Amino acid sequence: MADLTLDHVVIAVRNLDAATADYANILGRRPSWVGEHPKYGTKNTLYRIDNTYIELLALSGAKGDKRWSGVLQTHLDEKGEGVFALALGTSDIRRAVDEFREHGLDVADAADGHGIDVNTGAERGWRNAMVDPKHTNGLRVFFIQHLAPPEALPVAEPLEGGEQVRRMDHAVVLSADMEAARRVWSDKIGARLALDRTFPDRNTRILFYRLADITIEISGGAAQSREGIGKPDRPWGLAWGVESIEKTCARLQATGIETSGPRQGIKPGTLVATVKGAATHGVATLLIEHQPESFTQAARMPHSGAIDNTQQQRAFNVTALDHVSVTTNDLPATAEKWASTLGLRPGAMTEHDGARVSSIPAHNSYIALTQPLSGDGAIAAAMAERGQGMHAVAIAVDNIDEAVRDLRVKGVEVSDPAPGREPGTRVASVTKASANGVPVVLVQRG
Amino acid sequence: MITKVHHVGVVVRAIDQALPFWRDTLGLHLHKLETIEEQGVKAALLSVGDSEIELLEPVVSDNGVARYLERKGEGLHHICFQSDDVERDLAEMKAKGTEMIDQTTRVGIAGRICFLHPNAMDGALIELCQPLDDYARMHESSGTEGQF
Repeated sequence: MADLTLDHVVIAVRNLDAATADYANILGRRPSWVGEHPKYGTKNTLYRIDNTYIELLALSGAKGDKRWSGVLQTHLDEKGEGVFALALGTSDIRRAVDEFREHGLDVADAADGHGIDVNTGAERGWRNAMVDPKHTNGLRVFFIQHLAPPEALPVAEPLEGGEQVRRMDHAVVLSADMEAARRVWSDKIGARLALDRTFPDRNTRILFYRLADITIEISGGAAQSREGIGKPDRPWGLAWGVESIEKTCARLQATGIETSGPRQGIKPGTLVATVKGAATHGVATLLIEHQPESFTQAARMPHSGAIDNTQQQRAFNVTALDHVSVTTNDLPATAEKWASTLGLRPGAMTEHDGARVSSIPAHNSYIALTQPLSGDGAIAAAMAERGQGMHAVAIAVDNIDEAVRDLRVKGVEVSDPAPGREPGTRVASVTKASANGVPVVLVQRG
Repeated sequence: MITKVHHVGVVVRAIDQALPFWRDTLGLHLHKLETIEEQGVKAALLSVGDSEIELLEPVVSDNGVARYLERKGEGLHHICFQSDDVERDLAEMKAKGTEMIDQTTRVGIAGRICFLHPNAMDGALIELCQPLDDYARMHESSGTEGQF
């Protein structure tokens, strides 16, 4: 989707009055809107800034649509206060919903929403479409198209004293399963990936997705941990753009809000400070000042050792190391060595395609111990050339037809997909000349 | 005890020329790229699910990786299993008379490691590893519980 914006960020709070007062202090602004959602059983305070708005959302105590009040209650009970949802803005929600569904995102039909400002009686309408968090790696996302004109929600008026927050710089999502997060944002939502960078020294990988002038930063470990696979992503923090970090920190100090900093940001040419304490209501909060470039030439040197993966282009995803093939001239004897030496238990022997195979489970993958039954065939030829031992690597992909097509476009020699040794699998072989002498097999399960 | 396949090692002539296939075409996430001078290799680590492909390029001519490249050419080199206690596993294998390349564990790219001799496993070269932070928790914290 080309025209997506970060329309607003919803923050779940328990006490709306207290949160409203705290965010007036943090942002240096009066609310744009204090309202209720008669249909949802919720009430809210909105602060519009230059490029988006935040919504502090609490239960109103009135009965309402459980899709909102029930989910909010559960969030507060289980996760406490903090970022609750990201609202992605579109100018044509019906078309957007159709497009997302084509990309495999499970989006509900767009529904009408309606809010009333309790102070002015003003009303605003919108249409929104919820996404089941199961399809966005646990993150709560919905799409929204506003029906009211922009002036219906005015920019939050600055408080006396200036140094108010100007804009949102980025929103941070923590992920334990970065490849899954990349699939959600690149493939399903179709946001523009601006950066995929890994810092081995800091054990950090970051993905930057741009929604107009706001960045969604997805942050995780440099290498994928086994425990992290399938874990839900967590919205974590917001970074606010200010003109002067020093003056903003002084302003916050005067209202009793502690900050740490200012210090150099990780991004060259930035100064940052962290807002501490309970005033953020569970939102990790960073202030960021972009310095004029002329002062920061030295700081703009590329980060040492950073690795860039941004340019990967692919029509399929590798999901796992499916198995490693190891050849032998005597399957029972070698299987016994794997058991007695390494404590790995070979499974029953099966015959397939002129070879005897025993699978040895190894938790996240398996070893296919393979003995050719005759001197013909690719495995026997490979053994004649290299001896018995390490043979091939099988990699699981999510769409083998796309993978084969994509690899061929890139000049890789790969066979047509065909049924594999295991029921329900389809496999395709990449010639070892394309893969540094390694026979690589692509596998799709199910 | 083995807890997972940590990585599969592939010997290549030049990592720069291998990355277009493994990183760009297969789309594997490259998360580490470094030269380990004392071992005479350059290594690239790419994620495959929760396992890895390790590309190894010799930067000297007189180590095992260089000799492998000269003798067999590029190709699949070894498989590395993660262990929850590499010292205990090595001690047990030695007690059983398993032929080892490394008689003691040492620091490698994947952490604290040791290699079995390929003869021990009918030609397959096997490495065991334990990540360094895990190893340190086990071996450097005795008597100091609660201090870290």
